[in-house]
Amino acid sequence: MTTVIITGASRGIGRATAVKLSHCSQVDNMVLIATNYDGLLETQRQMSSGVHSELIVFDLSQLWNIDQMVQSIYDKYGSIDWLLNIAGYADPQLLLDTTIDNLSQTFTVNFFSMAILTKAVVKFMKLNEQSQIVNVASTAGSTPRPGWSAYAASKAAVINFSETLSEELAEYHIAVYCVSPGRTATDLRKRLAPEEDPTTIMQPEDVAYTIYTLLTDETQCLAGQDLIVRNKKM
Amino acid sequence: MVSFILLAAGKGSRVEQKMPKQYVSIAGKPLLLHVLDKLTKIQEIDQLIICCELEYSGLIDTMIANHYPGLAYELIEGGATRQQSVWHGLQVCKNETVVIHEAARPFVRTKDFLRLIQDEMPNVIYGADIPFTVLKGKEFVEDVLKRDELVNVQLPQKFVTSRLKEAYKKALANKQEFTEDAGLFYTYCEAEKIKVLKGLQYNIKVTYPIDFLVGEVIYREYIVGREE
Ligand SMILES: NC(=O)c1ccc[n+]([C@@H]2O[C@H](COP(=O)([O-])OP(=O)(O)OC[C@H]3O[C@@H](n4cnc5c(N)ncnc54)[C@H](OP(=O)(O)O)[C@@H]3O)[C@@H](O)[C@H]2O)c1
Repeated sequence: MTTVIITGASRGIGRATAVKLSHCSQVDNMVLIATNYDGLLETQRQMSSGVHSELIVFDLSQLWNIDQMVQSIYDKYGSIDWLLNIAGYADPQLLLDTTIDNLSQTFTVNFFSMAILTKAVVKFMKLNEQSQIVNVASTAGSTPRPGWSAYAASKAAVINFSETLSEELAEYHIAVYCVSPGRTATDLRKRLAPEEDPTTIMQPEDVAYTIYTLLTDETQCLAGQDLIVRNKKM
Repeated sequence: MVSFILLAAGKGSRVEQKMPKQYVSIAGKPLLLHVLDKLTKIQEIDQLIICCELEYSGLIDTMIANHYPGLAYELIEGGATRQQSVWHGLQVCKNETVVIHEAARPFVRTKDFLRLIQDEMPNVIYGADIPFTVLKGKEFVEDVLKRDELVNVQLPQKFVTSRLKEAYKKALANKQEFTEDAGLFYTYCEAEKIKVLKGLQYNIKVTYPIDFLVGEVIYREYIVGREE
């Protein structure tokens, strides 16, 4: 039985990944996490009915409740095999415009929540023969872009965290992937670049395809690296 | 079923670190945890006895709570010597088979434990070849030892618990100290055979500061087996 947790599954890259993975014959149970129930429901509607799915409305910035949520998932399914940290938050500000709240929310959703969630899940993954983690960072984590300091720093943290964990968890046969997409046509992008024509940039399904490919690649040769995913047509 | 004595009471005086070496890290992970990682999936072990200095019991409790919540274990106060620590551990063994290992040998693998436990002989140890020449003597050479007749004794080791206890009682009565248990068992349980399984050079005993450096390489290349 393969049980998968996907955060940020109510739209964008998370939704496209959930839909894609629901057609993967290796997957039995999918637990989808986000705060918007209607969004999760729509994702579930688009997924293959051949897979069991559960929707969890949960605000990942509630760091102290993450452990308990993961425990209940484990109790229900008996194992947690794949963890996909896709949820993300972006409200880019110039340094002198940014606030403690902005810095804090950016780091809480993008980094702390995924770190705490990963910690809670790895405790159970150590009991498996094989497990996989995919963390979605961003090209912003390795390329400077004025006005994006908080987001970029939080994604750099995701990249470094992933690279470190890949080494730390290799012994337990837990493969850790880090996927850094470039501009992708999602709500997040639309809010930040409203004038951009979304058909000219990468689609969430493209990123989902990459994640699917990584998860179904038995060689695991791409684990532990910051994998840049860009639209070749750009 | 097997009782497992994990020796973690050493003070690590030869290693120039403040903490006893079993709590010092290789690849970011304390030596004790390296060993626990290899043990926890072994079904045959239903009693885990950790001999430690009681002042470090809180550290071990936290380590196990964080990494292996739900793992059953008993903390036993270590003795002044290694032999006394094993003796303390033997007092609480509930099974007729005991496996003894030390936290200072972190590069043992799960399959090494399984091979020992599943061997049909009741008393089994690991031993490696001696790659260097060994002479007898201190200030002057007194004798030449034939290295192909010698074995570099390693842990883990497996014994019949009651037999090992009998041997220990005799050693205690004679006030004789041994540095490991196969020597003690052989001396006081002559009738029993001790089988030697081929041990690997990777299963080093972390003793000197350089061993922590060597250990990083062994971990990366042998335990994880990953390229740079
Ligand atoms: N789009 C891009 O150009 C781009 C480029 C590089 C990297 N990325 C990264 O890709 C990931 C997905 O982004 P996206 O473009 O698909 O964004 P999106 O459409 O805005 O989706 C973000 C997802 O994260 C969830 N989320 C946000 N805050 C949450 C919280 N506190 N608790 C639970 N869930 C939360 C959202 O769910 P709810 O709204 O339902 O809570 C939503 O499902 C993010 O990590 C983003 O940083 C995106």
